[in-house]
Amino acid sequence: MPRIDNDVKLDFKDVLLRPKRSTLKSRSEVELARSYVFRNSKQSYTGIPIIAANMDTVGTFEMAQALCKFSLFTAIHKHYSVDQWKVFAVENPDCLQHVAVSSGTGQADFEQIKKILEAVPQVRYICLDVANGYSEHFVQYVKDVRAHFPDHTIMAGNVVTGEMVEELILSGADIIKVGIGPGSVCTTRKKTGVGYPQLSAVIECADAAHGLDGHIISDGGCCCPGDVAKAFGAGADFVMLGGMLSGHTESGGNIIEKNGKKYKLFYGMSSETAMKRHAGGVAEYRASEGKTVEVPFKGDVEHTVRDVLGGIRSTCTYVGAAKLKELSRRTTFIRVTQQVNPIFSPNATED
Amino acid sequence: MPRVDADLKLDFKDVLLRPKRSSLKSRAEVDLIRTFTFRNSKQEYTGIPIIAANMDTIGTFEMARALSKNTMFTAIHKHYSLEEWKMFAANYPECLEHMAASSGSGKADLDKLSSILEAIPLVKYICLDVANGYSEQFVEFVKTVHAKFPNHTIMAGNVVTGEMVEELILSGADIIKVGIGPGSVCTTRLKTGVGYPQLSAVIECADSAHGLKGHIISDGGCSCPGDVAKAFGAGADFVMLGGMFAGHDQCAGEVTEKNGKKVKIFYGMSSDTAMQKHAGQVAEYRASEGRTVEVPYRGDVENTIRDILGGLRSTCTYVGAAKLKELSRRTTFIRVTQQLNQMFG
Repeated sequence: MPRIDNDVKLDFKDVLLRPKRSTLKSRSEVELARSYVFRNSKQSYTGIPIIAANMDTVGTFEMAQALCKFSLFTAIHKHYSVDQWKVFAVENPDCLQHVAVSSGTGQADFEQIKKILEAVPQVRYICLDVANGYSEHFVQYVKDVRAHFPDHTIMAGNVVTGEMVEELILSGADIIKVGIGPGSVCTTRKKTGVGYPQLSAVIECADAAHGLDGHIISDGGCCCPGDVAKAFGAGADFVMLGGMLSGHTESGGNIIEKNGKKYKLFYGMSSETAMKRHAGGVAEYRASEGKTVEVPFKGDVEHTVRDVLGGIRSTCTYVGAAKLKELSRRTTFIRVTQQVNPIFSPNATED
Repeated sequence: MPRVDADLKLDFKDVLLRPKRSSLKSRAEVDLIRTFTFRNSKQEYTGIPIIAANMDTIGTFEMARALSKNTMFTAIHKHYSLEEWKMFAANYPECLEHMAASSGSGKADLDKLSSILEAIPLVKYICLDVANGYSEQFVEFVKTVHAKFPNHTIMAGNVVTGEMVEELILSGADIIKVGIGPGSVCTTRLKTGVGYPQLSAVIECADSAHGLKGHIISDGGCSCPGDVAKAFGAGADFVMLGGMFAGHDQCAGEVTEKNGKKVKIFYGMSSDTAMQKHAGQVAEYRASEGRTVEVPYRGDVENTIRDILGGLRSTCTYVGAAKLKELSRRTTFIRVTQQLNQMFG
């Protein structure tokens, strides 16, 4: 008989951060850079721990160039060739400390990351990404990659529960990607009924990871800078963004003009669009688990980055955190039933 | 004084399935076929236990041809004539093991059902469907049909609570249809205030049925493949779909164009549309309890089938179930406040 876990799990939209007394005088005093030493690779990291997702429209070399100026991170998607990597490495040596190479669990993917990491040894991060991080097969793959690259920092996922975070860390991963189904172009919950509300997933997984000196990435579900702040407040060490970084100059794909307005295409990596592009079609035994949307063109990503970082600095000021590091310790979430006053939406503009 | 049952009953939208460790390597490894032996008929069933509803736009012979290719089931609606049945049976004998003949509780229905089953002995399933499975008259009717067709597998409903599931099984039904009001074109809850959230109904009714070695169908309330997975996870042996199968080539009715878009009509079997079509009108003493909607035309049902089965395989992979049979044992539901990220609508 099925079991029902009766306490309600929460999403970002279900909470707000309670303001607290603060001695900070200005948002500009807030320090967003963090430093970590990773459990298994023993490597150290310093930067603002926001990551562009390894989606082929978001995790591009152009995105990495723009983000590394702010010391933000990019998980480069797995569809670049070794030669493209070499060119990028020669032209942007300063960015290499803020990028990861990505891989699925296929043998071809493994061969590809070996070649890239041999050609570009300055890249120190590997992002192992599968839809379902719960399979034994994936655990074995993490072990294999760890054995082959003992000094590289491995990001692995996705999972949503503490016991699997622990398993992956003990199998050699350093940073666990947390999130099943929260993404803006993900339809896994609709197609399978499987998932976990993101705020609760982050709280529970961060707790499990930190107990082993591991780290986590909150991957998916952030629609606005406030959600990024909530993810950090919930205990995420890194926050990965897809939809929020889509539609920019640096995003993959061409600008589409429609009724005088500019758009860019954005899609989930298990959508029909992505599967047709990279695998030649949707296999007969599976359903597409992503959607394709036209996102209004937003110009250079720099503006969005400033908006996100400005938002988080403001959050820190409200809760009295002088550093991003202190944010989760200063966080009290209150449960709410609405986020914003809807009186003038959806026709209001922000500026 | 009225009593309030204080624990909250749940719908599909209130939960998600928690992922669990799995030794499966690919969705392709998942086996969706189930085998059952029914309590009263002693008949055996093998197939993918998804059923097209006995609604006159959905439970068509064309739908049965498409679904039976995937070993899925069709409850044929009760408005086909004996001649149409005979013709279909002669042309598509391979479909018959995945079909049921339907009937309400009226005398004319029973006569027609009897003539169909006598003419086509390969049809082994009977779907006895009334809006309110709680009436004594319906219990009597189930007993009568079981006495007359002791070796046919009887589906009967609809009910939503354990004690009535037990009563119908003990009266001769094999598979109980569970669901009052959850359907996409059902307005029973609106018109009467009566109903039961579908997930809780399925969990409770499956428990009652399985205790007696009976089976249940989760009937209604599925609006996406994930809901089908939740129904199986909750313990349903079969899942019946209406709205999710609407709008296809295999559905009855014409494709019409509206503002340049192709649509097909879909309606509840107690709607104005259905009652006018089959009974001439809505009787004076009753209200219509169904809606009529225009659904976008969706082409061949084969694509939708693939989407549903692909989704189910993915669910099984996420919770570590190598077979559909294991899904409910591997299911832990977590309570949630939203299903999908609404960023892009």
